[in-house]
Amino acid sequence: MAELQVLLAGTDDHDLTKLDEYLAVGGYAGVGKARAMTPEELIDELQRATLRGRGGAGFPMGRKASLIDRSSPKPKYLVVNADESEPGAFKDREVMARVPHRLIEGCLISAHAIEAHEVFIFIRGEYLSEYEILQAAVDEARAAGLFGDVDILVHRGAGAYICGEETALLDALEGRRGQPRPRPPFPPVQGLYDAPTQINNVSTIATVPAIMEMGAEAFAKTGTESSPGSAIFSISGNIARPGNYELELGTPMRELIYDLAGGVPDGRELKAVIPGGSSVPALAPDEIDVPLDYDSLQKIGTFFGAASLIVVDDRCCIVQLALRSAKFYQHESCGKCTPCREGTRWMVQILERIEAGDAELSHIELLESIGSRILGRSLCALGDFAVYPTHSYITKWRNEFVAHIEQGGCPYGGASSLEGIVAPLDQHTHSPMAEVPA
Amino acid sequence: MSAGLVTLTIDEREVSVPKGTGLVEAALAAGIEIPVFCYEPRLGPPVGACRMCLCEVQPGPPKPQAACTLQAADGMVVRTARTSAMAAEAQNGTLEFLLVNHPLDCPVCDKGGECPLQDLTFRYGPGNTRMTFPKRTFEKPIPISPLIALDRERCILCYRCTRFSEDVAEDGQLVAVNRGAQSVIATFEDEPYVGHFSGNVTEICPVGALTSTQYRFEARPWEIQSVPTVCGLCPVGCNTSATTREGKVKRIQSRNHPEIDEGWLCDKGRFAYDHLTARDRITAPLGGNRLAPIGWDEAIDRAEELLRRGGASTVTALSGGESVEEAYGLARLMRDGVGANTAVLPEQVPDGLDAYRAPLSALRDCKTIAVLCDEPVVERAPVVELWLKAARRNGATITYGAPEGPVDALVTDLPNLQLGARTVYYLPRTPNGRGVTDAWSAAGEGEPVDEEPRVLVISGDEAAQDPSVRVLAERADAVIGIGMFRDSFHGLAHLVLPGTSYLERDGTTINLEGRLQRQRRAVLAPVPDVLAWLSKLAARFDVELSPHASVVFEEVSAKCFGGVTFAEVGERADLPPRAARSETQEPGSQREPGSRDSGLRLVAYRPLFSGAAVERTPELHFQRPGDEIQIAPADAQARGVVNGATVTVSSNGTSLELRARITRELAPGIVRIARDHAGDLHATVQVTP
Repeated sequence: MAELQVLLAGTDDHDLTKLDEYLAVGGYAGVGKARAMTPEELIDELQRATLRGRGGAGFPMGRKASLIDRSSPKPKYLVVNADESEPGAFKDREVMARVPHRLIEGCLISAHAIEAHEVFIFIRGEYLSEYEILQAAVDEARAAGLFGDVDILVHRGAGAYICGEETALLDALEGRRGQPRPRPPFPPVQGLYDAPTQINNVSTIATVPAIMEMGAEAFAKTGTESSPGSAIFSISGNIARPGNYELELGTPMRELIYDLAGGVPDGRELKAVIPGGSSVPALAPDEIDVPLDYDSLQKIGTFFGAASLIVVDDRCCIVQLALRSAKFYQHESCGKCTPCREGTRWMVQILERIEAGDAELSHIELLESIGSRILGRSLCALGDFAVYPTHSYITKWRNEFVAHIEQGGCPYGGASSLEGIVAPLDQHTHSPMAEVPA
Repeated sequence: MSAGLVTLTIDEREVSVPKGTGLVEAALAAGIEIPVFCYEPRLGPPVGACRMCLCEVQPGPPKPQAACTLQAADGMVVRTARTSAMAAEAQNGTLEFLLVNHPLDCPVCDKGGECPLQDLTFRYGPGNTRMTFPKRTFEKPIPISPLIALDRERCILCYRCTRFSEDVAEDGQLVAVNRGAQSVIATFEDEPYVGHFSGNVTEICPVGALTSTQYRFEARPWEIQSVPTVCGLCPVGCNTSATTREGKVKRIQSRNHPEIDEGWLCDKGRFAYDHLTARDRITAPLGGNRLAPIGWDEAIDRAEELLRRGGASTVTALSGGESVEEAYGLARLMRDGVGANTAVLPEQVPDGLDAYRAPLSALRDCKTIAVLCDEPVVERAPVVELWLKAARRNGATITYGAPEGPVDALVTDLPNLQLGARTVYYLPRTPNGRGVTDAWSAAGEGEPVDEEPRVLVISGDEAAQDPSVRVLAERADAVIGIGMFRDSFHGLAHLVLPGTSYLERDGTTINLEGRLQRQRRAVLAPVPDVLAWLSKLAARFDVELSPHASVVFEEVSAKCFGGVTFAEVGERADLPPRAARSETQEPGSQREPGSRDSGLRLVAYRPLFSGAAVERTPELHFQRPGDEIQIAPADAQARGVVNGATVTVSSNGTSLELRARITRELAPGIVRIARDHAGDLHATVQVTP
């Protein structure tokens, strides 16, 4: 198993941001095929392809479409979640920057399945050049008459991680403060403007044209049985060749880290891998012999998440890493529900004390206890995201936490480095609204 | 199991509730509490924010579920903290999180002792704290208006206040800003929260974060009394609870009557009680040219003398703020005793509307609503505006504007109009205009005379300020005033007898629905009851009048209310059934068609935040309307007027500069200006940018 080009197919020889080049590689053929089918047939086709959502939860995309209440008198909406904000994740930006028409084609096909006439792409505010490329592609495809009775609106977010959470995204899209909604009701029943709404990640929707091209059965045979297809894996951190790699699902993690991305550079040792973006439990070096697919990663106690691997080498102080990650989730907690709002702040306070060598051993248990009181109790998964990595750091590198407390300070004595591993908060100063194009 | 019911088990108790019932209500039906902070059905759909209601629910994921966001379903098994360790641990955890940054300044917090956060911590919370780090601090208190102080450290971010502002009052002024642990409640750009209903946020706040500046540090909950009464400041008749301490009213809170007010009060009803202790409050009868205090014996003597002088050509001007009993007592004195049958009644209320009667809450379910009132509904009967908003959120279509001509001419015709309406509400101008009118009619048979008034009796401060009454006063030889404030009668009356407030009397009123409601004495007035001296004065004219409201009421009731007793007018009054529609419908009187020239008809309305009580409550003054003119979108567009721009309003040689506010809640052809800002403008005005 190795590289399988589905999302990025054709990009080696063509500039697929251009409509004519995309058409030259057979682009938009899927739309015609889809529109020749009834919505029922199309949903059936998508269900048989068993494509799983690439946003993180891995929910089957076809089943999501089947849940849309198409008998509702209200309009149906398709919303594409392009608010890629998970630290370590940059796969969707690759799709939008390089194959925007594949995303648009996926939108048109998926819209037909749920009988939607309006598609909203909610793009992360900081993705300015990606927005410009995508918007140009939308305009070009619309002008070419490819949309039919569908229209696509690209909406820029305003810089909140929480808006990647699908219901917060809907609130933000409606012009409200971006905060998650309680579920039920679920979006397929009551989503955007209380109408039936399907929400999918960019990579999910951009994979749909491949299903039309290959046929559901052929697509389902790629990847692994429960995780068919390919994914773009973002790999960053202490790695020789960081970047995006589109691979067939089930590719061994070791193959990606060492064979493709060149391993940990400068002769240093691997210390940890955070496999799905900064929100998932980290893996120790002896846990990386695992296929990169949803079920295999879940089996060893972590998540596929956003298919984004952060490689950490032995210069890293785990407490500092935990603190950096906790600060991010504290900063991005929306403030709506109690456990996440209050718990993330408390976790940061404790981690700061531990890193400063000003804590007691009981603080480790307190940290775990606070985490367990957030986990599964917050309104959306952001609370969980703050806890998963922290808990894994405590469980797998407990000795480092203990050493901080017993030595009264960081054992690295200022020599540790988190270079390239999840930007610290003070670098999150970029304001997307400062550069809104005229 | 009957149709429409679902049966579920809560803490091993089986309970059947209607389909669609939320789990919090379903548990209540089983006698079980699911604790909540953010949940408040009056604010719209649940938000699931505070996580206080976490319960174990099967079927469902194996983690605690927010019960407030779930609906009861057949076969559901719910375990609250009483029977589930998971739920108990989750609720304890929520309270621990809520308390880690809460200042715990309960000893000096106004809410202490009546605080849901205290109560639920007592029942479900941790007994100690594991928080050993600095708490989050904010600048405090922030005055979000002269009426409301905000303590952001106490706030638990349940978003009740912002939901009220956004989804109930729809003023959109209170918002959450910032994110995560730094989230705070704020107004836009720290501007004051101006709105007719802002005070409700102090009552729905489950902690001491939003407090009334008037009540702040005034009392502890264990040293106050609550008197259930009814607001006497407008015709809605919201049910209220007057908090008193040491004989003083300290605050007014809502006493939810789901058919009338749904637990919301306007800021006038909530905050205007300071008028009881106004600087110019009349505490003794006033007489002589300079209106100096005189003794009661002298006052009664002089009143008798003036009334005998006036005889049948005495005119009584009523304000509509009297209780039914006060109005009836005064009417007995005047009609039976003095023989003076001429009255200036506060307003004419069409009786035929009783056939179209319905509780105000019925508005919420109406599909089409026609507002014929030219004045802003919110200024005349504020809580009705909230019902209109609820109806609109429910999908109702609301139109504004009378079919033809001015509304005043329309009022008597309402029952005869072929509106096709199933329900009709009349919005009176005065709190008890209908009760006063009924009481006057019930007290005697004699016909009014058409003579110049020799003596004029003015009942109430509002009547004393009425320009038409003041014109009448100039023509009378002598004027007797009954009222609360010296300034109302200065230079007007020759004798003033002290009046009392609705908060100081026992009695009944009739609200705009036609609902008879009971007002209770919250505090003792600094003066005797009006009925007490009326009964003495009436005795001089051989009229037997009880000084007790209950006895007077029973006399009125026998004539007007089917003999219901005072005690039977309970704390939560029912609405009488609809009257039969009259068979013979007389043709409506001819109304003049509206003018069709280029001018706009000016409605100079009396703002809610005006009148004797508001003038004497300085904290409310910021709520008075600005110098703006309300104009319909079509009229604005035709004249090139944009929202917020300064426009020139002119008529017959007089002109004013006012700020334009374009509103859809206004019929084309009409503009509205608050009375105080209308200057000398005539009835037809031109508006130019």
